[in-house]
Amino acid sequence: MAEVADIRRDNVWLGGAGRAVAIVAGAVGAVGLGIGGAIAWAQPDQRAHFFASYLTNYCYFLSLGLGGLFLVLLEHLARAGWSVVVRRLAEGIASTLPVLCLLFLPVLWGMGYLYPWVNPRGDLAEHLQHLLEWKRPYLNTGFFGVRAGIYLVVWLAISYYYLALSSRQDRTGEPRLTLRLEGLAPVAIILFGLTLTFASFDWMMSRDPFWYSTIFGVYYFAGCVVGGFALVTVVAVLLQRGGRLVSAISPDHYQDLGKYTFGFIVFWAYIAFSQYLLIWYGNIPEETQWYVRRSHGPWGGVSVLLLLGHFVLPFVAIISRWPKRRPALLGAVCVWILGVHWFDVYWLVMPEYSATAVPLSWLDVVLFVGMGGVCTARALLWLGRRPLIPIRDPRLEESLAFENA
Amino acid sequence: MGENIPPADVPVVPRAGTVYGVLAEYDGVAPLLEAAAKVRDGGYTYWDTYTPIPIHGLDEAMGIRKTRLPWVVFGAGVSGALLALLMQWWMNAFNYSYVVSGKPLLNLPPYIPIIFEVTILLSAITAFLGMLLLNKLPQLYHSWFASRAFARRVTTDRFFIGIEARDPKFDIAEVRALLGSTRASQVETVVEPAAPAMPEQVRKYGLPVAVLLLAVALVPPLLIAKARLTPRNSPRVQVIADMDQQPKFLPQQANPLFLDDRAMRPLVAGTVAVHHANLDKFLYQGIAEGQWATGFPMPVTTTLVARGQARFNIYCTACHGWDGAGNGPAAVQGAARSPESWVMPTSLLDGVVRERPNGHIFNTISNGIRTMPAYGDQIPVADRWAILGYVRALQLSQAAPKALVPAERQAELR
Repeated sequence: MAEVADIRRDNVWLGGAGRAVAIVAGAVGAVGLGIGGAIAWAQPDQRAHFFASYLTNYCYFLSLGLGGLFLVLLEHLARAGWSVVVRRLAEGIASTLPVLCLLFLPVLWGMGYLYPWVNPRGDLAEHLQHLLEWKRPYLNTGFFGVRAGIYLVVWLAISYYYLALSSRQDRTGEPRLTLRLEGLAPVAIILFGLTLTFASFDWMMSRDPFWYSTIFGVYYFAGCVVGGFALVTVVAVLLQRGGRLVSAISPDHYQDLGKYTFGFIVFWAYIAFSQYLLIWYGNIPEETQWYVRRSHGPWGGVSVLLLLGHFVLPFVAIISRWPKRRPALLGAVCVWILGVHWFDVYWLVMPEYSATAVPLSWLDVVLFVGMGGVCTARALLWLGRRPLIPIRDPRLEESLAFENA
Repeated sequence: MGENIPPADVPVVPRAGTVYGVLAEYDGVAPLLEAAAKVRDGGYTYWDTYTPIPIHGLDEAMGIRKTRLPWVVFGAGVSGALLALLMQWWMNAFNYSYVVSGKPLLNLPPYIPIIFEVTILLSAITAFLGMLLLNKLPQLYHSWFASRAFARRVTTDRFFIGIEARDPKFDIAEVRALLGSTRASQVETVVEPAAPAMPEQVRKYGLPVAVLLLAVALVPPLLIAKARLTPRNSPRVQVIADMDQQPKFLPQQANPLFLDDRAMRPLVAGTVAVHHANLDKFLYQGIAEGQWATGFPMPVTTTLVARGQARFNIYCTACHGWDGAGNGPAAVQGAARSPESWVMPTSLLDGVVRERPNGHIFNTISNGIRTMPAYGDQIPVADRWAILGYVRALQLSQAAPKALVPAERQAELR
């Protein structure tokens, strides 16, 4: 029945509990990052491993932050009504981007360890040296830094603008702000797409400077969006368990979040397969080497894990309507997706550090906890200062009344 | 309109003049939803709602059970996937097995896009046709059309509930009372309209005339078929003559304009294509002083042989093998698949090939021999000589005396 949920009795504030969790998460995160950094400082032979693990976790949390920002942009771009009740949560996830900008700095410090094109080995074959020389105008430390600066500034600017105006609307209730955000969305999403693509080329693909794939950026983007939708779902489930937004977010909203998660899981697999098929069919050594590294030995196992865990299992689990309308079940699948998405990024970054073994170690755990803690703290503090839904958004009523046929 | 009480056994196709059912009209969605819930609770079977727009919550209000269409579509999708797999296995691996790019015959990655497409195709067609079928569409006429209000406004701005007389619980007074108790703007009893009577002439002559017209319509295609299929001496009727008879000469036709009556003109003696004079017989044909040349038209250097090795590994190894012994992967595959008809490539290390003059082997690379195709169009002339240089190097190295191997690597010999 078309009835607007009554949110006047809903608790739309994170309150003191949120602040407490934020302080704990921030403290744990700072300790984690500190331990990781100290180890890298004290043990020079661990630095290559440290930076590879750092980049993995950085790109993972970056993908979530960018995924959140994408959800915000998407809603404004499409003038979507249904998603207004969960937009603030996506904004909260995107609010981690300033922290992620700071967290990028160690990557600059570790460039020499991360990117073979910084200090090429002397014993490279002649044609590989020639290739690096050819790519030098793009792959050099100065331009790399400038580009990174551009990406980060673009993300900061977009997220600041969208988050600040959304918060301002909470106070003033101006419908005009919605129109302004919608008007800018096409430009913002084009900038977003370009920066994300080139950032993934620079930061992950150039780990093997002899390999290239033009679809690589789309692949990382697919992971970002899957991560963004899965995380919003998990956050929504956790908040409702904690007594927030109890009637605002309905099974109909979960069903749509589930549909998007499902759709982008399939999109991710589609892109992954598109990249694989062309390289497999062409069978040219300079292209296949990247996959050879990932399909033999223990990395082959990780590839199978991704195929089954990142595609088959979520596909079967949430294809039907029934699980998508059950928050606990959908939330559990989304937690699984977020976990296996970490392995996806790990699989992108790590084999260039260790081709013969999967070097899972406590470093990964420490840095994951460190970065995750800091980002969680930032998001909770940001969400703690404003209501958990955009209470005066002109489309809020529409969103509350939203129904899946 | 009189309100007839229908007999106990209502025929599926109601007779003219009997009550078809009772129709209630609503101004908005909310009263419709309330009324639908009431009718649902009344336990009726043959009833429906009619609205100009889809309405959320109507399914629950009417108590319609969930459609089984998704399962049908799922079945169609699975059949599509299996069908595509079977089709490709049949075409590529079984009925016409053909090695492409050295890939295995039964080969999943390139099958996946087609499996995906056929899955989607069958699912989409099934979803569309299944939706029509389960909704009993297309339906060109419905007895409710007898109601003027219904026919005029059901697709624009009014909402209707109709309870049909064939419902086992149908009792006209009760139904009218039930619908009257809802917020209906109007309740109407609909009587099956009398079908318009067929005119006498149509009934009498309709069938014979139709058969006659059909027979007449068959005459032109039959005439055309006859004209096309029977041989005759006179020229055919040409509808578009300038397409059939174009003012031009075809190859091998006569043209009296020329002394030799040939429409195809031979090249003037000594004509060469621009940049293709290729006058150097040694370089381009491997012939020196009327014999197969024995030397090389360029100095033989390590660069040349290295170039030859790279080209040889690209063009020749598929059949002749990496060492030239004639056991390349394509040759091995071919022999395994059709042992009775496959001709193995020549071993380049055989005495016959060893003793052939350079020009002869160069000619073989350029123009092919027996089942070996010509490579002259694919490999530039200098590279063909380079390949020959590498073939000579292979012949030497594969039969080299032990003493030629450097002393420090002799231990690696088995």
